[in-house]
Amino acid sequence: MSDDRRNRLPSDDRDWTPSKLSVTDKLGLTKFKPDAEPHLSVKDKEVCQATCRRKYCTHTCPAQVYRWEEEEESISIAYEGCLECGTCRSGGCPYDNIEMSYPRGGYGVQYRFG
Amino acid sequence: MSDITNIPITTDRFDAIIVGAGPAGLSAACTLADGGARVAVIERGDWPGSKNMMGGLVFSQPTAQVAPEFWKKAPLERHITRREMWLTTGESVVRAAYESTDFGAEPYNSFSVFRSRFDKWLAGEARAKGAIIITETLVEDLLMEGDRVVGVRTGRPEGDLEADVVILCEGVNPFLAEKAGLSKGVKPESLALAVKEVLALPREKLEDRFNLDEGNGAAYEVIGEITGGIPGTGFIYTNRDTVSIGVGVILKDMVDQTAEAYALLERFKAQPQVQRLIHGASPREYAAHLIPEGGYRGMPRLHGNGVLIAGDAAGMVNAVFTEGANLALLSGKMAAETVLRAMECGSFEAITLDHYRQQLEKSIIMKDLKTFQDVTPFLSSHPHFFTMYPELASAAVKELLTVDSLSKADKMHLIIKLVRSQRPARKLMKDLYDGWRTFS
Repeated sequence: MSDDRRNRLPSDDRDWTPSKLSVTDKLGLTKFKPDAEPHLSVKDKEVCQATCRRKYCTHTCPAQVYRWEEEEESISIAYEGCLECGTCRSGGCPYDNIEMSYPRGGYGVQYRFG
Repeated sequence: MSDITNIPITTDRFDAIIVGAGPAGLSAACTLADGGARVAVIERGDWPGSKNMMGGLVFSQPTAQVAPEFWKKAPLERHITRREMWLTTGESVVRAAYESTDFGAEPYNSFSVFRSRFDKWLAGEARAKGAIIITETLVEDLLMEGDRVVGVRTGRPEGDLEADVVILCEGVNPFLAEKAGLSKGVKPESLALAVKEVLALPREKLEDRFNLDEGNGAAYEVIGEITGGIPGTGFIYTNRDTVSIGVGVILKDMVDQTAEAYALLERFKAQPQVQRLIHGASPREYAAHLIPEGGYRGMPRLHGNGVLIAGDAAGMVNAVFTEGANLALLSGKMAAETVLRAMECGSFEAITLDHYRQQLEKSIIMKDLKTFQDVTPFLSSHPHFFTMYPELASAAVKELLTVDSLSKADKMHLIIKLVRSQRPARKLMKDLYDGWRTFS
């Protein structure tokens, strides 16, 4: 799942009309050193299924890390593209149902500009 | 890639351990090392700066207090000679601009920078003074003896490090300050989520489009339709051969409206007056960051036994004037000065470290944070400041500038009628009064 979402690298000859820049395109620009183990998790699946009707995290995360999978009835987490901003632990999930820690030392996002 | 030696962790004891190599942590490290303290900075990124992000401008005067004449050696993008404020409606812009040749000469006023490069440089300065910079190392917990912080637990094997005092400069997500019981976490109404893109433009083209002399820079803050009625701003900063463009919105309001920060940024970029500036520029990086905008009321406890908090972790941001890094630098310096004083007394009790809070109270940091302490809740409860007023401003200016058969007196009358239809006089006066109270 994460491979096709993340590994599309943009090239310079593309049409960069702003409205065409998807989050996947944006994340393709940023450098990541993904850890083998996720640093994000959903605390209680049932809250996502039964309580959270708007699936807030799928909107609030600026990296679209969270996606609602209809068939599995659960949130999938593409933690490899996490920008480590902390939105999901500070109200981005209004039910406080996401456990976030930082990736281990040396892993995660690496801003070249910042 | 990194010019910082990655020193393996030993069982050495330090006078002070600093968590986080951002502006607060590196400022504290420079000050402590200058004072002869044995100090280590622990940074989770590959290099100091690799996790850091801001708009961003650094201001000359506070930065020079930590690194004198930094403009002669630090990696800077452009010195800012023009600042603009835009009120937008989607089609139109009302602008206010300030430009000065003063800002283009030493000691300058502000510079656009990239944190990832600037902080790497500042870490080099700290290291040259004798601070030890340990990278690729996450501090997972604090070592406690009762209610006293006595060191840190890192993610490395046998990675416990002890020190007389720990300065938390861990940034906006206060994981460790929460563990130490100093912070109760930051609430979404006190946070802004900012997303930013760095767009490459050839230098000449950039200077032409932004109407800049060689080496000079411009910084734009934009309020209005672009944030979709959510309290927030857009910003555009010119760098050497790139443009930083972003949007920041109050997190609580963004969540309530299930708005998407990246969609707001795309909308901002598509605004015709913005599009003209960035057209054809190729994106280089996308970044996101939270900004603690709770001001004075949103601050955690700033110290405990053996521990101090500085920078974003302490909520030190002046949202109105988009100042954060300079408050981080100054607070890091003050925390370090308190530690040096505590080393002289040989006591790291909360009562000794309270000196930090006292110094902060006397400083520009707390004075400014107190002045603007009600701004963020005020803007959340007055979203029409971001929609209706920019629209009214635009409509009024348009009416005055449009030449038709109406006399200017009739036009003034029309404008007053329009304003009244949108906002009754009583409410308008209240907005003015509340606004004045909040922003002064």
